Amino acid sequence: MRPGVAAAAWLALLAALCAVPFLSGRFAPYLAMRVMMMGIFALGYNLLLGQTGLLSFGHGAFYAAGAYGLGLFALRVSPHPILGLAAGVAAAAVLALVVGALCVRSSEVYFSMLTLAFGMMFFALVWNAREVTGGDDGLIGVVRAPVELGLARIPIERESQFYFLVLLLFALSIWVAHRIRLSPFGLVLAGLRENATRTAFAGVPVRRYRLAAFVVSAAFAGLAGALEVLLESGARPFMAHWTHSAEPILVSLFGGLETLTGPLVGSLFFIAMREVIQRYTEHWMLAFGLLLLVVIMGFRGGVVGALGALLGGRRPAGEGR
Amino acid sequence: MTGPALLEVRGLQHAFGSVVTAKDLHLDFQDGVLTSIIGPNGAGKSTLVNLLTGHLPVQAGRVAFRGRDVTRMPVHDRVRLGICRSFQIVNVFPRLTALENVLVPVLALSGRARRPFARLSREAEARRAAEAALEAVGLGPAREVPALALSHGDKHLLEVAVALAARPALLFLDEPTAGMNPVERARLLESIRRLAGEGRTTFVVVEHDMDVVFSLSARVLVLHRGEVLCDGAPAAVRADARVREVYLGQEVVPAPEKAAAT
Repeated sequence: MRPGVAAAAWLALLAALCAVPFLSGRFAPYLAMRVMMMGIFALGYNLLLGQTGLLSFGHGAFYAAGAYGLGLFALRVSPHPILGLAAGVAAAAVLALVVGALCVRSSEVYFSMLTLAFGMMFFALVWNAREVTGGDDGLIGVVRAPVELGLARIPIERESQFYFLVLLLFALSIWVAHRIRLSPFGLVLAGLRENATRTAFAGVPVRRYRLAAFVVSAAFAGLAGALEVLLESGARPFMAHWTHSAEPILVSLFGGLETLTGPLVGSLFFIAMREVIQRYTEHWMLAFGLLLLVVIMGFRGGVVGALGALLGGRRPAGEGR
Repeated sequence: MTGPALLEVRGLQHAFGSVVTAKDLHLDFQDGVLTSIIGPNGAGKSTLVNLLTGHLPVQAGRVAFRGRDVTRMPVHDRVRLGICRSFQIVNVFPRLTALENVLVPVLALSGRARRPFARLSREAEARRAAEAALEAVGLGPAREVPALALSHGDKHLLEVAVALAARPALLFLDEPTAGMNPVERARLLESIRRLAGEGRTTFVVVEHDMDVVFSLSARVLVLHRGEVLCDGAPAAVRADARVREVYLGQEVVPAPEKAAAT
């Protein structure tokens, strides 16, 4: 896509998202917020999987760290939502720094298994530390206090108000992920994915860069988790469960790895199918699974890859990043 | 003597199980001396390169670069010091373009890779250095081609370009001409000769092609079962009876077999 066309498409998307809360009903904005939160989660996750080539099965833990980070901060320190979000992101990043430092020593399947193990440990911790986390009840009673910015005081109590905070952070996340992908740092991450040995022989400290990618992706997960707490006014321990860690993987595979838009398209399908089909049957995963099967077997680049091939023929060189 | 050698190897030992691949090696590599390492299959040539570049951990012995102990130094730190290599089996970034391939070492070594918000497209200086590394091996026209779409010979050239882009003082090339056609081979040898002449990089080449070895090198090192069989000027090595016996003889005498193999 030419840069002008791409910019126009992003603006159109932004305009459409701005219009959603003015539609009738509460379901559409709610759905859009869930899609955006999933999008932030998957976007960050894809910096690790699509860009760096590391498959983590433990990102639910970072999502939960963000969620409980905000929840505990709101309940015990201050209900300020921006400070709370910062606390959530910081909690996820710090946890990722510790967990990641141990995991990036291994690669491929060992890395994945270690992230899975740490993720399950974190879930057990959240589940059992009742005094702090509320155990299986989770944290409840987090309110959406107004955003105090000096003299300005912006209410986000109503969903239609909170919506724009989510949209702002969603747009910010896309911008950050976009800049990372096009940066020298992003090129080195792609190098790690393509050939870690060669990257080391290019003078790159492989573990440190893997850890950096891990922490960045965890920060995105933490932001998504913290936002969900503000939306649902509580944190659930199952956010840390390994089944939740699988969601950004499915979403990224469905939408297309190695693209910026893939995780976003995947999130839209994933959330829409879950929310809609769940009204009729609890076996909505069956439908999504079948669709995912078709996409993976039929189109290597996911939905976005397939659309790109359909629209633009061969993708330009360098798009592999 | 003028200070320490570029690379000093003392008592280097290595074994894969009971197979000894380096038996108490003592070697010096001097600045500016283009050295070829030859020897029959399994002589320990690639293992030696792997040990000296940090790709394999050293089991016993000591390696020093310009007098500094690098025996246990991680690969990326060695590259920063100036020790780099190419691989026998092409080892590039397949889905990155040729230019992006060489940009990785250029950015990493200039410390510009750490910035997640800089724009790669605006790294003019790095791009120029990367383009120069591609030009040095004659791959300038292929800069926008993904590595996987290059011909086999061009992949090998790119492999060398990526190693060169790290601006090493000491560069190991492990069978750089393997699988190349005569044109590509001549192009690569021309590049190596020219770069060696410029004096910034000292080359150590593992090679099978005897024409290449004897035309290129100032020093030939013959390995056999992890030991140095012979070490000296090409003419002396060519005349050495033991070398002819274990290595050259095999290649030179049964001429039909060689023809069949190529």
